[in-house]
Amino acid sequence: MSEDLQQIVLWLIPAAPLVAAIVTAVLGPKLLRYKSHLPCWSALAVSFVCSLILLLKILPSVEQAAPPEEVGVAISQTATGPQVIASGFEWFNVGSLHANIELRADSITAIMLTMVTGVSLLVAMFGSGYMSHDPGYPRFFAAVSLFVFSMCMLVLSGSFILLFVFWEAVGLCSYLLIGFWFQKPSAAAAAKKAFVVNRIGDFGLIMGIFLIWKHFGSLDFVTVLGNAARIAEVDAQNPGVIQLICFCLFLGAMGKSAQFPLQVWLPDAMEGPTPVSALIHAATMVTAGVYLVARCTPLFVMAPHAQMAVSGIGAATAAIAALIALTQTDLKRVLAYSTVSQLGFMFMALGCGAASAELVTPAVTAGMFHLFTHAFFKALLFLAAGSVMHAMGDVIDMRRFSGLKHALPITHWTFLVGAAALAGVPLLAGFWSKDDILAVLQEASRSETHGLYFGVIRVIAIGAAFLTAFYTFRAYFMTFWGPEKFPEEAGHHPHEVTPIMAWPLRTLAVCAAGIGLLVGPTHLFGDYLQKTMGLTPEHEHHLHWGVMLMSSIIAVAGIGFAWMFYVASPTIPAAIARTMKPFYVISQGKFFLDEIFMGLIVFPLLGIAKLATLVDKYFIDGIVDTVGKVPKALSIIPRQLHGGVVSSYASVMWVGVVTAVVLVLTMF
Amino acid sequence: MPPYQAINQAAGLIIPEIILLATVCVMFLAGPFLVSETGKAPAGLRHRWGILSLLALGAAMFAWTKAPILEAGAGPFRPDEFVWFVRGVSLVCGMLLTLVLWDQIDDGHAAEAHACLLAILAGVNFVALSNDLVGIFLGLELVSIPTYILLFLARRDWMTHEATIKYFLLSIFSSAFVLYGLSWVFGIAGTTNLTAITEKISAASATTNLGMFRLAMVLIIGGLSFRLTAVPFHFYAPDVFQGVTPSSAAMLSFVPKVVGFTALLRLLPVCFGEANFTDWMPVGAVRVVLMVLAILTMFVGNLLALRQTSLMRLLAYSSIAHAGYMLVGLTVGNSSAGTSGVAALLFYLAMYGIMTIGLFALISAAGTFTRPLRSLADLSGLSKSQPAIALMMAVCLIGLSGLPPTGGFLAKLNLFLAAWSEGTTDGRILAITLAVNAVIAATYYLRLISVMYFEQSTVVLETSRQPAAWIAGCLCAIATLALFLMPQPLWNAAVHALSHS
Repeated sequence: MSEDLQQIVLWLIPAAPLVAAIVTAVLGPKLLRYKSHLPCWSALAVSFVCSLILLLKILPSVEQAAPPEEVGVAISQTATGPQVIASGFEWFNVGSLHANIELRADSITAIMLTMVTGVSLLVAMFGSGYMSHDPGYPRFFAAVSLFVFSMCMLVLSGSFILLFVFWEAVGLCSYLLIGFWFQKPSAAAAAKKAFVVNRIGDFGLIMGIFLIWKHFGSLDFVTVLGNAARIAEVDAQNPGVIQLICFCLFLGAMGKSAQFPLQVWLPDAMEGPTPVSALIHAATMVTAGVYLVARCTPLFVMAPHAQMAVSGIGAATAAIAALIALTQTDLKRVLAYSTVSQLGFMFMALGCGAASAELVTPAVTAGMFHLFTHAFFKALLFLAAGSVMHAMGDVIDMRRFSGLKHALPITHWTFLVGAAALAGVPLLAGFWSKDDILAVLQEASRSETHGLYFGVIRVIAIGAAFLTAFYTFRAYFMTFWGPEKFPEEAGHHPHEVTPIMAWPLRTLAVCAAGIGLLVGPTHLFGDYLQKTMGLTPEHEHHLHWGVMLMSSIIAVAGIGFAWMFYVASPTIPAAIARTMKPFYVISQGKFFLDEIFMGLIVFPLLGIAKLATLVDKYFIDGIVDTVGKVPKALSIIPRQLHGGVVSSYASVMWVGVVTAVVLVLTMF
Repeated sequence: MPPYQAINQAAGLIIPEIILLATVCVMFLAGPFLVSETGKAPAGLRHRWGILSLLALGAAMFAWTKAPILEAGAGPFRPDEFVWFVRGVSLVCGMLLTLVLWDQIDDGHAAEAHACLLAILAGVNFVALSNDLVGIFLGLELVSIPTYILLFLARRDWMTHEATIKYFLLSIFSSAFVLYGLSWVFGIAGTTNLTAITEKISAASATTNLGMFRLAMVLIIGGLSFRLTAVPFHFYAPDVFQGVTPSSAAMLSFVPKVVGFTALLRLLPVCFGEANFTDWMPVGAVRVVLMVLAILTMFVGNLLALRQTSLMRLLAYSSIAHAGYMLVGLTVGNSSAGTSGVAALLFYLAMYGIMTIGLFALISAAGTFTRPLRSLADLSGLSKSQPAIALMMAVCLIGLSGLPPTGGFLAKLNLFLAAWSEGTTDGRILAITLAVNAVIAATYYLRLISVMYFEQSTVVLETSRQPAAWIAGCLCAIATLALFLMPQPLWNAAVHALSHS
């Protein structure tokens, strides 16, 4: 494939959704109306095909061809051999100001792009059925297209600054889509909450970027991340600065990827339409934090404390979210907490590099692999939950319906596949990736320096994996088993999904079942990913039979307990809830994190805000108003001269010239 | 060389201008025959003249791309890189202005109006092309005289009459200053050829009485400041803008600035004894004069704009303020350190042309020929009644206020960088003044946007279809945004304009 064609393919990936977003936004409300999905579909299909070409054809060919190095303009290839295709143009070079816009695709980017465009294409198809009677139909597809554009640009960014721009852009799309039904006060509040909580993370990210700029003098990925010697030099000159940068970047990742204690926004984000929950708040956007940490591996390698924090926060998040998910009765919320918990798993893996340097690459591979498989089965679960919601007349409380497996056969089967994959049933997608994480944790716990630390995290991970299997199947049994019961909102005959919604479900179910087996144990994923900058290709592959056996037992045990509690003898949960009342209340109340946030942060801040308002109103405003009057007062003087009389104008001109002449002749 | 051969050779250098002036002759000659004695013309005649005008501009543009680029010699013309840039700017803005003028003139007078516009553009090019004091002055007058006619033709009521008379009187007054200044230069150098003058001055600069040059330069700057609408030579602008049609105001807000800065960039280096302005920067007294002029112009323009309730007066003061920003670039000059002020000035000039012509085009498209938008109140509720025009107008206004994501932001950033990177106290003062003024200006530009979007309509305005002006405004709004995304070609063009001239 010629270079020009490669460039075109690279630019088409983000450009197609952008065009679709503009077309839908301009023509949607008047012209396209309920055909607004068409531009979105076609654009996402183009993006997906281009991503596949990039993944399968372009990047491998770049590796073989190995053209001469020409960074920033054409295809570049450094001596160490990470396969990269980059395309950029100089945006503005004036004097000492140089600003370039560069797209840069390497292995990790290609994997993310394929995943993002593929899942979003399926979600968009599902969405056209799900949203079919919504008056905001064009708005929905415009926002989804805009989101896909932003997300593609985020992973294609060749520099931290461009990454930050699109980091904010996906945040904006998330805000728009959470608040899609802005008439509902709860949706508006959830959108606001997501935005504000994300600001905390963004603050960390921007501080990290400032620090990088200060110490590296560049924000370009190649310059900052591509040169290990330079990072070591910076670290030697300013001890601790790399740690600080990594902590800041991780704070950004915590906000976007909903890690404890910033996870509070994600469950509320379920106020948005369900396809949005599937796409943005499960499969793609929330994994941006994982991507950021994985991308910055060369920095994190130099910061073991930051890596340990990554693992620790991940473990805490995984455990807390799993515990909360145990008692939730809202199906979407169970899935939301499960997302938070699984993101915690990814971070747990990413931080394992602290244990030993050889573990960095397997750790990142395991985290990214879980991200990859999770996208499929979590999107599937959310879409299936959406179809339950669709059939039940927008009721999502699991206490109000049960025994849906006969009424909704397609939904039932696909949900079962997704749930089994999430629970880690052997051979399904989640099994392989969770296995990798547990294996990496096991290796890390053998480390001499931080063995104990990672040992504890490993135990937490195993516990969380058990809980995952349990709460997933709790939700499954509560929804699909038991006596058939429908809420009044559903009418008498709940309708199964239409074909346009069924096919994405089936496709995702096939992926959730098979993709792990396809690319996991065959090491296709690992070998591909490890060509990314900062990772070292592994040559030894071995399956961890012990870990696999253990996680199979955990999964089966979790499912078994769920069956016992919710199918065999449904009185047990109530009994446990009675006997262990305090724990139940804590879990049911989501650890009261929202309330704690309210008391510790929101109320004090509101108080400060009130005070600031008073100062602003009576003190600052007074000053500003006075200053504001100065220009107006000043303008009174020259206004007198603008009387409209030509002779006075001419005389002022004459006076002006004479003054200048006198000035020039006398002054020098 | 026989005279006919010299003429032949010189004519080969000015083919774009010959095309324009030939079309002017055709229009002036044929125009009256198509109009009856009572002044009635067949309906739709103006479209034909508009198309002819566009064709002429297109042909001139083609010739422009083929025109040779030569170094200055003893001949009457010097078609160097700077001319290449000025021609590009004048032809592109000429096309846009033709579109704006299209429906702002009645059928009976369309021929003469379009002819005047083409003559003005040819004049702009001649000022850049001339290698001779007389040529430059003739070029300046080739801009001025058709301008009087154009202002007068477009609409004939007492307001336009008064505005035209004001402009006419003050313009000839300012021309007298320029002519007086040029005659001083001639008196000192004894020749009118710029190349010869440069040689004489650079050879004799040690012994010549520099006071006379200062006098000459101050007179030239003073006279040309009228065209730039620099304070205190700006008084005519609000009155005239208010009186004339939006199309004439569009022309007045931009073309005189182009020709003024072109003439200054040609004449000032010569008076310093520099053959070109590649390494030129104003020094000494002239720099002080330019700096005072820049600061005064920025402040007076912006502060007075704050209080206006008439839309056209407000835009006149805004146009004055923009002249001040551009004077910052001229004051900095091409200092060796940091960003080139002249390149920043040329970038700003082109960018300003796009934004201001776009704004006036949209103003004419939003009103009718007989009842254009006049006051701020006329803008209220425009986002409801004409959403597309309001949106594009908002883009142009954001551009003029210098906020991203528009090319106007980068244009102001360049001027700021040029002034700041000079590293002197003067430069810093200019840069800070520029920034402060950009903030003041943002208040009234954003107020215009808020009037369009957040205020209920108080007046019911008739609308008429003016597709030509609408297209011009649309092109300008798109260009304003596009030049934020891809500014480098324009910047390269501005740098190229300075390269060898």
